[in-house]
Amino acid sequence: MCSMSSNVSGAKVMIRKINTNDNGQQASYISWKVFSYIQLLILFVLYFLFPVQLYSKEKAEIKVVAVISGDEIVGKLNKPSGLFFDEIRKRLYVADSGNNRLISFDSEFKYLNELSHEELILPTSIVRNKEGHFFILDNGKADIIFIDLEKKVVEPLSLTGIPPGKEKFVPGRIAIDKANRLYIIDKLNKRLLIVEQTGKFVREITVKDKNFLGLTDVRVDNNGDIYAVDAVSGSVYVFDNKGEMVSRFGGRASSIGTLRFPVSLAIDKNGLIYVVDQHAGKVSVFDKKGSLQYTIAKPGVKEGELSNPSYIFIDREGRIYLIDGNRIQVFKE
Amino acid sequence: MKFFSYALGIIICFVVIVGFEETSIYAKSKVDTFALCLECHPKTKDLTMKGRVHQPLKEGKCTECHNPHVSKHPTLLSDIGGELCYNCHDRKKGFIGIVVHRPVEEGNCLVCHNAHSSDIKALLKKAGGDGCFSCHPKEGIIAKKNIHPEVRKGNCSSCHNPHASDREGLLNKDRRSLCAGCHTETVAFANMHMGYKVGGSDCLGCHSPHSSNRKGILKASLHKPFEENKCSSCHVAGSTAVVRTGMSLCVDCHKTSMEGFNKISNHLILGKNDSFCNSCHNPHASDERYLLKDKEKRVCYECHTDTKDYVAKSAHKHPKIGECLDCHVAHGSNALFFLSKGSNTCSQEKCHETQGTFTHPIGEKIIDPRSKVAMDCSTCHNPMGSPESSILRFEKDKELCVQCHQM
Repeated sequence: MCSMSSNVSGAKVMIRKINTNDNGQQASYISWKVFSYIQLLILFVLYFLFPVQLYSKEKAEIKVVAVISGDEIVGKLNKPSGLFFDEIRKRLYVADSGNNRLISFDSEFKYLNELSHEELILPTSIVRNKEGHFFILDNGKADIIFIDLEKKVVEPLSLTGIPPGKEKFVPGRIAIDKANRLYIIDKLNKRLLIVEQTGKFVREITVKDKNFLGLTDVRVDNNGDIYAVDAVSGSVYVFDNKGEMVSRFGGRASSIGTLRFPVSLAIDKNGLIYVVDQHAGKVSVFDKKGSLQYTIAKPGVKEGELSNPSYIFIDREGRIYLIDGNRIQVFKE
Repeated sequence: MKFFSYALGIIICFVVIVGFEETSIYAKSKVDTFALCLECHPKTKDLTMKGRVHQPLKEGKCTECHNPHVSKHPTLLSDIGGELCYNCHDRKKGFIGIVVHRPVEEGNCLVCHNAHSSDIKALLKKAGGDGCFSCHPKEGIIAKKNIHPEVRKGNCSSCHNPHASDREGLLNKDRRSLCAGCHTETVAFANMHMGYKVGGSDCLGCHSPHSSNRKGILKASLHKPFEENKCSSCHVAGSTAVVRTGMSLCVDCHKTSMEGFNKISNHLILGKNDSFCNSCHNPHASDERYLLKDKEKRVCYECHTDTKDYVAKSAHKHPKIGECLDCHVAHGSNALFFLSKGSNTCSQEKCHETQGTFTHPIGEKIIDPRSKVAMDCSTCHNPMGSPESSILRFEKDKELCVQCHQM
């Protein structure tokens, strides 16, 4: 504040001095210039006293590692809807929903294998437990499918003890935690169901927020904290491992820090929340309190741009997998 | 302190003198001004003969609205449109709301009102509904056999506020309480509703507020059990409560409807409603296809507010925008964007059947070099709206083509 006072008093001296100049116009111009400097200085001080995000923080340093859309061997991807990278086997698994199959790629994204099965109609969401068993959301059957490749078991997971809701239970996207518990979106009853991998009910999380309209995607971090997104209200919800809501942010708008149509989210190793804003064609990165850190990508169809992003996953190496229409783009920050 | 006393004294003197002078000038010129204007505008005198005269004209204060010397606005008005009117008519009192009548929003008060005088109350140009029907075609409102009595009388303002309202349709009251203002729950009323206590219900869910070819001005399409008076198919006898909650009630009859939701993308979301099917449909009656609870675009835009905003600000729009179900499937789809026929949606129903055959090639074998995915109509066009003509994604003369065809 001392330096500011001296600057202001200095400016007064300059104005007085300039006003005595014979050239009236010049004096007026310079005095306005001094005023502008003072205004800028005040704004500068205010910005630090009351930090406000005045501009969008776009992060340009994104490298496109790979673009997967299919080839003659694997065929064209047809509406892929879910994926995850297996850190143990170093494999990428993709639910190629429109082709009714699961596909695997190696860590260099070379095609490895595919699984089609009569129980798999429209696989859309895919997770794997520590034992290497898959749990697949199948929208064609509105069911969770359990897959044990070693035992060649592909069967619906029977959920037990689920408290009845007002509407029929229709599963949405799924997530899995360190303890192999599944987190299943109950689409029509506006709740999140937590079940053991056997399908036994553990507990449910309901969202106590008047703006809440229904969950679209869910993730769990290593601490057991739960992250979920509501595309219709444009909100991101963060719950602690007891299911208590700790923060809510976003909201449907076009201004900084708000979201137009957030459809998916992922958490990186630093705890940052990456939210796919489908209509905005970008990924907004927030800290846990909901403060926007920066954004990734921009709308478009070129490599590194997003035209219809629908799903996001981040692996331990920090590679960001984005399902974008009929292609998968892999970014690295 | 002494300085402030002097200063205050000077200010008071200044205000009194200037105020006195202003008043004197005004008092002196009050009559003279009007007489002066009449010298050149004698027909203005006739305007004062009508039943209702605008207060400034009645008092001969032409200069309340007109500048006698110069103005940048037509007829030497001292301000433009509504801004001039708001000088006297407090904008905050009745002209602000969530929904504002378009002429009010645009400041075109004279669309409905005469500025000087009229034989109709509120200086209206036309009486009652005739004024409204100038913009809102009569055919769509009162063309049908059974007409709501207030509509027949042209008393539009019985239900609508002509300026602004916080309710959709510029309604004077909430939809549920508006009708109750006239229609009390008599025995006859109860009998008409099969004995069900419908008081407090949304009457406009089943009845058209203007006219209908059905008895009781019911909406055009009726749910079969409703039409056959089989209320107990869904309701507990004598109660508005339903026999089963949620979609299970609907699925009992509409057994295959759930199959439509078992798609990669689906609309299985409860949204703002308590009942899933009722999020979009009216279980009794509708003027829309598929028994939709409201006009198609209103139903979709209720959740898709971002799309609504995008469409509204787009200079060029697809002609069928708002008729969402012509291109999209409401329940679920295995195609991107809920399209009914995927990338062939544009050529369905012979809308654009020749596209792709005589213009730029599209299809599975034509790969967009930018995205490495197959080209379709939406590669170049954005059907939801664009600032460019032909709803192109880029400027058509050069920018569009050089996206792929590098110079």
